Amino acid sequence: MTKDELFAKLKVLIVDDSAEMRNLLVALLQSMGFAEIFCAASGEAGLRVFCDESPDLIITDGSMRPMDGYEMTRRVRAGDCHGGENCGNRDVPVLMISGHVGDDIVRLARDTGVTDYIVKPVTAETLYESILSAVSRPIHIVETGSYRGPSPKRRLVPRISGETLSE
Amino acid sequence: MHDAQSPNVPAPDMPASDTAARFLRLPSVAERKLGPDYTVPVRLDPRILDQMQQTIRDLTEKYAETLKAQVGSLFSFVELAGMGDADARSQLYAMAHEVRGLAGTFGYPIIGRFAHSLCSYIEGYRAIDASVMRFHIEAMYDALKQGGGDELLADETLASLERLTAVTHVDGERSVG
Repeated sequence: MTKDELFAKLKVLIVDDSAEMRNLLVALLQSMGFAEIFCAASGEAGLRVFCDESPDLIITDGSMRPMDGYEMTRRVRAGDCHGGENCGNRDVPVLMISGHVGDDIVRLARDTGVTDYIVKPVTAETLYESILSAVSRPIHIVETGSYRGPSPKRRLVPRISGETLSE
Repeated sequence: MHDAQSPNVPAPDMPASDTAARFLRLPSVAERKLGPDYTVPVRLDPRILDQMQQTIRDLTEKYAETLKAQVGSLFSFVELAGMGDADARSQLYAMAHEVRGLAGTFGYPIIGRFAHSLCSYIEGYRAIDASVMRFHIEAMYDALKQGGGDELLADETLASLERLTAVTHVDGERSVG
């Protein structure tokens, strides 16, 4: 089984308010062999698609309006995605692609349950590495009374294109 | 959902007080789709990577036209944004943010750096100065005319823009002096 055969079995949701960025990501994911690609232009719309399609992977921007990628991720993890009813897999890997690289914003991404963080501009190699890592590695979840998701105590190292940064 | 392990034992990275924490190791997405025999690849498949890079090359020509139009449009918001028009400021920021996010992917990293500097400037100050924004956009425009710009010149220009920002904004409250 080659990796493109794997990708052909996966559903992915892209959430980004930039049409240009969505078009780029769709084209890249198609060239990787993803057969089912869904798009949304805000966190709110992303939650609706998440409920309807139950994707295997979410790729989201951080800054969006009215609902940003952080709040969308928090609600996916909390099982509070659409009218209080959880309809998708709340443990789904969430990759965030953002123009921000500050410690505070990366910490926010980690605390809301983002799986991996890619700093723009994204390259083919960085995107591919991040996706492959997200879908091929076991999913480690921490569950407390108020949180379920990747450990909020882990060190989330942003992936910066051209640099080898991994946990 | 498979619950491979659920001990009521806190892991080293959790607060000691949070004794109710459970730690789960769930099968990967690939294992769920392809079965337990799935093995994690040791490296990226060069064929897929080539396809992705070809996709970017195929889109580059179209993006160059988009970028040219976006940089041109940035100029049209400068004066109003500098006079405090919230809508112009918001539109200018949104466009610069888009350039920041995409230009590097398509081989215009210097323009992306100028856009990043412009975004940081707008994020950092309540009142923004039209001349500072105009210099940023002119730097992008010049880099575009040169087919992407020169790295050394970009470093010097960005340093100049930082100095200009510092001179233009003289008080400590991050507002125009």
